[in-house]
Amino acid sequence: MTEMRIVGNVGNLPTTTFGHRSMAWWGTVGFIVIEGTTLFICAVCYLYIKQNFPTWPPEHILRPSLIAPAVQATLMLVSNVPMVIVDRAARRLDVATVRAGMMIMCLFVVVMCFLRVLEFQALNVRWDSSAYGSVAWATVVAHATLLVVETAETFVLTALVYSPRLEQRDVSAVSDNALYWYFMTGAWIPLAALVFLSPYLM
Amino acid sequence: MSTTLPPRAVPEPGRAPESVAELIPHLEETWKQPPGLWAWLRSVDHKSIGIRTMVTALIFFLLGGLEAATMRAQLARPENTVLGPDAYNQFFTMHGTTMMFLFAVPVMQGLGLYLVPLMVGTRNVSFPRLNAYGYWVYLIGGAFLYVMFLLNTGPDTGWFSYVPLAGPEYAPGKRVDVWAQTITFTEISSLVTATALIVTVFKNRAPGMTLNRIPLFVWAMLVQSFMVLFAMPWVATASQLLAMDRLVGTHFFNQAEGGDPILWQHLFWFFGHPEVYIIAVPGLGIVSSIVATSTRRPVFGYPAMVLSLVATGFLAFGLWVHHMFATGLPQLGESFFSAASMMIAIPTGVQIFCWIATIWAGRPRFTVPFLWVLGFVVVFIIGGFSGVMVASVALDQQVHDTYFVVAHLHYVLLGGAVFPLFGAFYHWFPKMTGRMLSDRLGRWQFWLFLLGVNLTFFPMHQLGLDGMPRRVYTYLPEAGWGRLNLLATVGAVTIAVSVVLLLINVIRSLRTGAPAGENPWGGETLEWATTSAPRPYNFPLIPVVNARSPLWEETGPLRGVAGLRTDVCDVLVTTLLDAEPDNRHRHPPPTIWPLVAALATGVTFITLIFTPWGAVIGFPLLFLGFFGWAWPHGRDHREQLSIEAERPVEAGP
Repeated sequence: MTEMRIVGNVGNLPTTTFGHRSMAWWGTVGFIVIEGTTLFICAVCYLYIKQNFPTWPPEHILRPSLIAPAVQATLMLVSNVPMVIVDRAARRLDVATVRAGMMIMCLFVVVMCFLRVLEFQALNVRWDSSAYGSVAWATVVAHATLLVVETAETFVLTALVYSPRLEQRDVSAVSDNALYWYFMTGAWIPLAALVFLSPYLM
Repeated sequence: MSTTLPPRAVPEPGRAPESVAELIPHLEETWKQPPGLWAWLRSVDHKSIGIRTMVTALIFFLLGGLEAATMRAQLARPENTVLGPDAYNQFFTMHGTTMMFLFAVPVMQGLGLYLVPLMVGTRNVSFPRLNAYGYWVYLIGGAFLYVMFLLNTGPDTGWFSYVPLAGPEYAPGKRVDVWAQTITFTEISSLVTATALIVTVFKNRAPGMTLNRIPLFVWAMLVQSFMVLFAMPWVATASQLLAMDRLVGTHFFNQAEGGDPILWQHLFWFFGHPEVYIIAVPGLGIVSSIVATSTRRPVFGYPAMVLSLVATGFLAFGLWVHHMFATGLPQLGESFFSAASMMIAIPTGVQIFCWIATIWAGRPRFTVPFLWVLGFVVVFIIGGFSGVMVASVALDQQVHDTYFVVAHLHYVLLGGAVFPLFGAFYHWFPKMTGRMLSDRLGRWQFWLFLLGVNLTFFPMHQLGLDGMPRRVYTYLPEAGWGRLNLLATVGAVTIAVSVVLLLINVIRSLRTGAPAGENPWGGETLEWATTSAPRPYNFPLIPVVNARSPLWEETGPLRGVAGLRTDVCDVLVTTLLDAEPDNRHRHPPPTIWPLVAALATGVTFITLIFTPWGAVIGFPLLFLGFFGWAWPHGRDHREQLSIEAERPVEAGP
């Protein structure tokens, strides 16, 4: 092996970091890019297919109901407040606050899943009735997969922060999860506007 | 699994080791790759995953090649009966799908997985388990496609699966669903690999390897990975929409219910055109590495080279509509995409001129890898010329769906990807195995391949101009296409002989090849500064660089930093721009969970083809797979607690 000589020591560098210093954070950003692109594609399809219809929604199809989506969008926006608190607590390694906060986030995510079921009903159209129904459903389903992933992650992380097996890196993972949460909830607002509001406006 | 921790860190944290030799026995123990199937299934080492990805991709290359050879046998003369129309449809679909999704992208990513961590001076790829998961998903997807092909359920609507032909009305049965799910498998694999490579380049570079010192091959893999990130979701989403049209009665592409077949073409080609560059950009990086080594001087115009790679990455997303000139687009759109298609010749041209300048100013050695580079220049430029021709809408309308386009795309893909890839094979095989390939056999292989490619594909330009359409299983004698088709078939046989020579060369080399040493070609980058094959930990110290060509520009022994733990798989994390040491990250030990998660993924996607209950069965399985992966337990957990016990955490901002 090529001879090497030692010119420095990195042994004192930290082993748990947060945000852009952490590799896991960059991995989360990578997945946000991938999933963000997927949601963007759904929006493109929605607008593309709309061009094929003289009226939107097509004739004889009810416009979407707005109550469930409005509650969902509000809830998603509001949920970011406790999530920011959890994120900041994680960065301070304040495990007690993280534990309480994650329990609250579990409640949020369960309600969001319930509201998502109501949102499907609120579309007032079946996926197989026309291309309008197909693309409206696909957009909501695409975002629902993110919600399902986030639900699983929130529950597992909550179990972890209460577990005696808790590691520092799990607390860093809570912070990374917060980033994903901001993305998931933030991405829903324009999508919800597109799927539920645009039939009233276009 | 061991129940005790390996020996304590050497040196103790904060104490510098007295010598590099002191570290090596501990690194060997901690990073060891034990033999045996169980260890192989659990491996998360980037070199192991990289090599198995490349080997798997090359097996698919051979299968795709056999399909091509069978098609050439069928077309060798008019009204031939080797393949019937149905089998022929499956063969060309399998050939295209195999070469694009199961060979070209994975083989380049496999090469990147192997080389990027070595070139940037780290010990593994950034997310080793995710990386292993990506491989297993790819393998399951490829195996699934071929099992279904053997069951006479191979896809038969082309590698692009245009609707309405691929829709539920005209393609009943499961053939197209098999295609759509294979795409899902391969795209998941590509996306996770790309993410792992990007983060490796961003956060694991050797101290001192600032952005303007990153090797050109690494730049190429970085650009390719970003392209994968933004392009692959399009085909993954499109294939899911197609599957939904077929399986649950949606109407995305059904004109009668307001859907749109042209939407499919937009979605497919928004992926499909960048795909060409996803395949070719790593080839450009390979060429830069080989040119520098073969001419013994750094590639001329480094900033121009990097900017050209990045520009290619961007421009590749502005060309997709040139695949759709025959669909009746608005003229303004056609003009825009025609201009954009011609514009991408500029960054490619810049790179070619930079290589010529490098060769001009250097002392070229006509080694086998260098021959492949010269072959690349010739073949790729011919493909580029016909590309500029079909970028013109008027000409494209004439030759659309003819053999002219078949000739063009094979010149581009073979020239842009396969020639550099074979060059890479000869260039880095000694690093991967410790043995040289035979020079004489290599030269025979090169000349036969060059001859075979031109014999096969050059006549197709003429066949296309003569009006021979693509994707026909036979033709009448009166068409007058027999002689040129026979010539193309002779060329295909020549290519096959060339590939057999490569296989013989590999087998001979593995048994009796000359020892390679660390740096048989006199290379400039860090992978040449370690053993051939590299030890599992790659380098005893994390190298420190202060030059673009560290092995050429720095005198004396290679410098490195100590202080990483040797009892766990500790790696150094550096800053994005300047690669300054920032923190340490412990990599996981070998684990079976990526394979378990991949199997759960496989069960889910394959079952979904046959019943919507696949979701009900699959999602709990997926959850269990990933839960087992994430939940702290075993050696991974003990090691993490050990490393976290070193010092209080540095809380972030």
